[in-house]
Amino acid sequence: MMEFYEANKDLLLFTAAAGVKVLVFLGGVMGLAGLLTLAERKVSALMQDRIGPNRASVLGLAFNGLFHPLADAIKMILKEDFVPGRAEKLLFTLAPFFALVPVLALFAVIPFGDYVMVFGYQLDLLIADLPLGLFFVLALSGLAIYGVFLGGWASKNNFALLGAMRGAAQMISYEVVLGLTLVGLLMIYGSANLQDMVRAQGRLLFGFLPAWGVVYQPFAFLLFLTAAIAENKRTPFDLVEGESEIIGYFMEYSSMRFAAFMFSEFVEIILVSMLAATLFFGGWQVPYLYETGFILPGGAALPLNHYLVAALQVGAFSVKTVFFCWLMLVIRWTLPRFRFDQLMGLCWKTLLPLALLNILITGAVLLALGKI
Amino acid sequence: MIINAAIYFFGGLAALATLLMLFQRDPVKAAMLMLAALLATAGLYLALSAQLLAVLQVILYAGAIMTLFIVALTVTPAAWKDKPAPARIKRVLGLAAAAVILAELLKVSTALKTVTAAPEFSETGTLEIARQLFGPFALQFELLSLVILASIVAAVALTSRRRTAL
Repeated sequence: MMEFYEANKDLLLFTAAAGVKVLVFLGGVMGLAGLLTLAERKVSALMQDRIGPNRASVLGLAFNGLFHPLADAIKMILKEDFVPGRAEKLLFTLAPFFALVPVLALFAVIPFGDYVMVFGYQLDLLIADLPLGLFFVLALSGLAIYGVFLGGWASKNNFALLGAMRGAAQMISYEVVLGLTLVGLLMIYGSANLQDMVRAQGRLLFGFLPAWGVVYQPFAFLLFLTAAIAENKRTPFDLVEGESEIIGYFMEYSSMRFAAFMFSEFVEIILVSMLAATLFFGGWQVPYLYETGFILPGGAALPLNHYLVAALQVGAFSVKTVFFCWLMLVIRWTLPRFRFDQLMGLCWKTLLPLALLNILITGAVLLALGKI
Repeated sequence: MIINAAIYFFGGLAALATLLMLFQRDPVKAAMLMLAALLATAGLYLALSAQLLAVLQVILYAGAIMTLFIVALTVTPAAWKDKPAPARIKRVLGLAAAAVILAELLKVSTALKTVTAAPEFSETGTLEIARQLFGPFALQFELLSLVILASIVAAVALTSRRRTAL
């Protein structure tokens, strides 16, 4: 036993560390997604001058609705699991997995902190340190289309199929823009590894301005946010669901199968928020905070303990993520839905040319500065 | 050892999915089996340490091309019906075409060198691929865009003709 441990020490330690990181990080993501389902209803209530859900309670304590996600989960599990008679059974069952699994796998490449030393062992605060992390994100987010499409097609329901076709057309269009907006960042940072990109954002411009992606590429950030919300099928781009007209690709789904579709939408909100924070807002970087502590531009320094620095960085990443989640909830309850031709026109006639223009300008500036 | 096992696993999966696809009558199910074959091929690339190829395989083939196939299938009414068996002449012609392609592929594949898989997972040669594409193969690479341009023009021509007919 000890011999086996000694021989495979690195591999075993790596596996154990990865397991712990997956549990902690994905646990946090799932918890946040659960809370987002409540936040969504509370924000909508706030916008519409209502109180929102506040009844579910444990031992008489309601905490203004904090237990509603739990009550929803119990309700979903206890609902009848219904499969339409004409449905394609296998694909109907597979579709919710196609919706949820690629999204969850994407969290593996997102850095949620720099590193912490545990018993002299350097623990990188990201699950998989892939050299092509950004491409991995684009690849897997492309696969999320199949969840929507299969869900709609396998139900053998015309409304569900309409939703699925809209979804496929919308997601494949906005995926192009999403990829192109990130090319500028790739050119500036010269790496597709998300951890490298975040580290590069720790530098200072002109001695005081944090070199965050949004400073280099403010325009790309707006395009990214638009395309990402569209890719996520949220209002104002929620024609795939369109509750008031076609209900959507998951029309025939009930119980936990439906919950998987709904949950994947909330997990995607978190994913988009984390990507926006990582790529454009410095990820876990806190301005002027370095490995040894704060060093302000004037020269004033405040040395900090290593664990405190790590905690501050993870905290900063969480705050940025929650901020973007909130932003997307507010956008959803503020803007009305597009018409489908407007949606396609916006993508191909406005966003795509602007994204290409952004690449051209970025390339020209980099060439002029002699960075290429 | 793990890498060898992965290579055989993904290779077998790709071959199996392709075979099943060939004998599948329902177009959408056939498309899903083709997707499985494409993803298994991506896994094969990954096992061979070609990360960039694997990711591009998923982005381009699984994410874009298969999606377009599927959208096209659903908008054609034929996708909803069980099609009658094709005429005998079509079968013979199809088999002949398949035999020609198989013979060509076998001829080409004999010239390929056998390469032993890397014993360990190594870094991708992304930079090397880029140097090749934008160096010696720059002309061919740019010529490919002409193919895409031609297909765009064709698509516009096809759709605009239908619009005037209506």
